[in-house]
Amino acid sequence: MKSVVTTVVTAADAAGRFPSQNDLEAVQGNIQRAAARLEAAEKLSAGLDKVTKEAGDACFNKYPYLRQPGEAGENQVKVDKCYRDLAHYLRLINYCLVVGGTGPLDEWGIAGAREVYRTLNLPTAAYVEALTYTRDRACAPRDMSPQALNEFKSYLDYAINALS
Amino acid sequence: MLDAFSRAVVSADAKTATLGTAEIASLRSYVAEGNKRLDAVNAITSNASCIVSDAVTGMICENTGLIQAGGNCYPNRRMAACLRDGEIVLRYISYALLAGDASVLDDRCLNGLKETYIALGVPLQSAGRAVSIMKSSATAHINETNSQAMGGTRFRKMETIKGDCSSLVSEAGSYFDRVISALG
Repeated sequence: MKSVVTTVVTAADAAGRFPSQNDLEAVQGNIQRAAARLEAAEKLSAGLDKVTKEAGDACFNKYPYLRQPGEAGENQVKVDKCYRDLAHYLRLINYCLVVGGTGPLDEWGIAGAREVYRTLNLPTAAYVEALTYTRDRACAPRDMSPQALNEFKSYLDYAINALS
Repeated sequence: MLDAFSRAVVSADAKTATLGTAEIASLRSYVAEGNKRLDAVNAITSNASCIVSDAVTGMICENTGLIQAGGNCYPNRRMAACLRDGEIVLRYISYALLAGDASVLDDRCLNGLKETYIALGVPLQSAGRAVSIMKSSATAHINETNSQAMGGTRFRKMETIKGDCSSLVSEAGSYFDRVISALG
């Protein structure tokens, strides 16, 4: 799992040397930013269901045709699956915030997503809309502190860019 | 390879759950103790050659047969291999301490180590003894309880702020114990 510490250790191990001052400084920088990340992760975890619902509603409001027969949200079962997928992405963002890197999103969310969506004939635009709504809806200090929000939004943007 | 954070993530993913307040609390302690941890890693890496050579010397002093003809540290070539292995083990322990997780030590160092040593005829008990001396030495360096009497001419104390490092010392000790039990 890619994170600052594992990256530093992998590089040190490849060179066969002990962790150098540079390595320790890199980890130190990561630790200094950790408070904001962990706050964002905690707040996101606490409000996950609400955030998921709002994001999904926004998506179906913008693309009402999705509920028509033959589309991705033609019945309740399929609609529920859309919300489940959104919760899945938000959970991975929660993980990314904890790890402090995009490892979880890369490994468990993005790798192969394009192929899966093409096979299942799912529109990625709908996911982009839902995640964009979440990004624009989040505000500081109502939801979390500005620095925490910054971290949260950067991972949302990462997911959006990967899906668009 | 995992660190304290990704370990928490992997175990949450197994339950398809997010990391909430309870799980994050333990990570906050890693963050709060971050500087202590970096100082501890520094205490090991800055004194690495001292820790390793002291451990190998101690191992041989207790069992001088090792450097007599037919011993496993005779001739110099095998003694050098022994010092090198001591340094490698200490290096992986420093990685594990930095990451706050033993997976790098397990995957990259201990996996197959015992079998390799058996195949090469390396005495496991002596290797384990050297690691346990490294443990005492590293503990003293992290805690800064090393003294002139113990260090002799190579005595050196790092100038860090005094604090309670007991949890880090026991964590570092657990990594050394992991090596010893993997060899046992």
